[in-house]
Amino acid sequence: MAPDDPDDWIDLCRKLDWEFSYVSERDVFPEVQSGHPWLPASDWADWDEPFRTTYGRYVAQQQEKEASVRAVRDAVGGLDDYRQLPAGWLNGLKLHAATLPLAEFAAVIGNLRAARFGRDGAWRGAALFAALDEMRHTQIPLLLMHELVRWDPQFDWTHKFFHTDNWVAIAARHLCDELLLASDAVEFAIATNFVFETGFTNLQFVGLSSLAHGVGDRMFEKMVNSIQTDETRHSQMGAPVLAKIVERDRPYAQYLLDKWFWRSWLLFAVVTGFSMDYLTPLPNRTSSFKEFMQEWVIEQFLQTLGRFGLERPWYWDTFLQGLDHYHHMVYASAYSYRASVWFNPVLPGPDERAWLRAKYPESWGDFDPIWERITARWQESDPGNEFAVHGTAIVSFCDLCQMVLSNGTPRENTASVLDHEGRRYVFCSRPCRWIFEREPQRYAGHKDVVKRVLAGEAPANLLALVRESFGLRHETWGKDAFGGDYPWLQRDRA
Amino acid sequence: MIPVYGFLEGDTIGLLILADEQELLAVTAAKLQAAARLRARLDGPLALFVNGHAVELEATVQQAGIKALDRLDVRRRGAR
Repeated sequence: MAPDDPDDWIDLCRKLDWEFSYVSERDVFPEVQSGHPWLPASDWADWDEPFRTTYGRYVAQQQEKEASVRAVRDAVGGLDDYRQLPAGWLNGLKLHAATLPLAEFAAVIGNLRAARFGRDGAWRGAALFAALDEMRHTQIPLLLMHELVRWDPQFDWTHKFFHTDNWVAIAARHLCDELLLASDAVEFAIATNFVFETGFTNLQFVGLSSLAHGVGDRMFEKMVNSIQTDETRHSQMGAPVLAKIVERDRPYAQYLLDKWFWRSWLLFAVVTGFSMDYLTPLPNRTSSFKEFMQEWVIEQFLQTLGRFGLERPWYWDTFLQGLDHYHHMVYASAYSYRASVWFNPVLPGPDERAWLRAKYPESWGDFDPIWERITARWQESDPGNEFAVHGTAIVSFCDLCQMVLSNGTPRENTASVLDHEGRRYVFCSRPCRWIFEREPQRYAGHKDVVKRVLAGEAPANLLALVRESFGLRHETWGKDAFGGDYPWLQRDRA
Repeated sequence: MIPVYGFLEGDTIGLLILADEQELLAVTAAKLQAAARLRARLDGPLALFVNGHAVELEATVQQAGIKALDRLDVRRRGAR
């Protein structure tokens, strides 16, 4: 019979492992699933993480969290509460709601792979709890947003998004399939638990959470805070795995960090960068996306690299330049092709642009003329005449990240073309090209939107592409959040 | 028709442009200007680069040896 105090027996259970007699250890934990470098169990015996929880404790804590989320939902999570939120914020919510829950569901698979193929019993146990965590991270946003579908069909994209061939969904799937579904246990721990969850999710849990508080979106604030408590626990699997890989194969550890920091950066620059610098109402903004990145991601990441004796990624200067440019490049592009997304972007007005100029003095001078032109087009058009202020050409996409070719600056786009085994590829940036060239067999078969169009698998006409491939119809495709009708936008018609 | 990736200086995104083999590159550059005009516009003399190499606007697409999915940059003359 187990002692009453779990601390008396927990380590006996969580560190339980055994020697195999009928099969080899390599067969039980093949490298293709467990990860590189393959090390014998004895090398993993000192693996540990600080939470050391039991199933009983886990269930009790999660039950309390669920009850707390439900209480907030009952109090302030109804349709009428959402109706009172600012339009820009609601559209940031649609962006997050679509990209979050089914990515979390894919993370269930990644964690379950670690729960089976992780090389230490404590790692496998922690990963099993993490898989359970990710189920609730799927269910909570699906539940909360479902209420809103009858009010606004764009919220239906909370569930629909990943099932479409929308260009953002293709990019998100390309990332999540590799990060969460296809990676082995080692790569998953370093990429997801360490880089993604320890580093970048602070943007959501600290940055966006504080903005939600300011805007008055108590439900979003509660949701991300509740999810954060899980992430804080299961992200702890990353560091001990990274420590072991650094010890045995430092160049590989450096490669995984470099690759996943870049890939994570591109995703968060769009999902969080849009929300912080464009969709949150100006009076509620506290810091810029760049400032949040500097405080909550970069500082910690560099400290961690130092702790493990690793180098900054080779593209660090490119990344720092991107802090001033990338999400601005993509937002202006997305705004001018807003019918291709499922949320309604906001046109930055004079006050917003002054704020952006103050926050981004190095780069905003290149972006302001773009917004001048777009604004002038609205001034010549009637409110609601969306396609008078919309791009018509087919845009182009990176063969690695699948995002639009919007890296670099307006003066110098960093896209480059590569011929590989008889096929032509284009990349938005040197890091994306570098990732492809390190593992071409992993990425070469994927078709971006342009390749699908050229192969006759998707329509070349933009409107047909939006309808047939991107899965949008008039009710759901993106429009200016205010129909181009802003108090500051004067239409001086003779 | 040859699809190429077009980048207009001052714009935020690469666009897919269809170029006719017999058209002058000045025409191809004008197509890119038209496709990007919501966001950017270049006035004055222009320069065109294919995969980073300068080409004459008076040459045809075929004469310039442009292949499918090459990168075309349209810039202000003297900008690079």
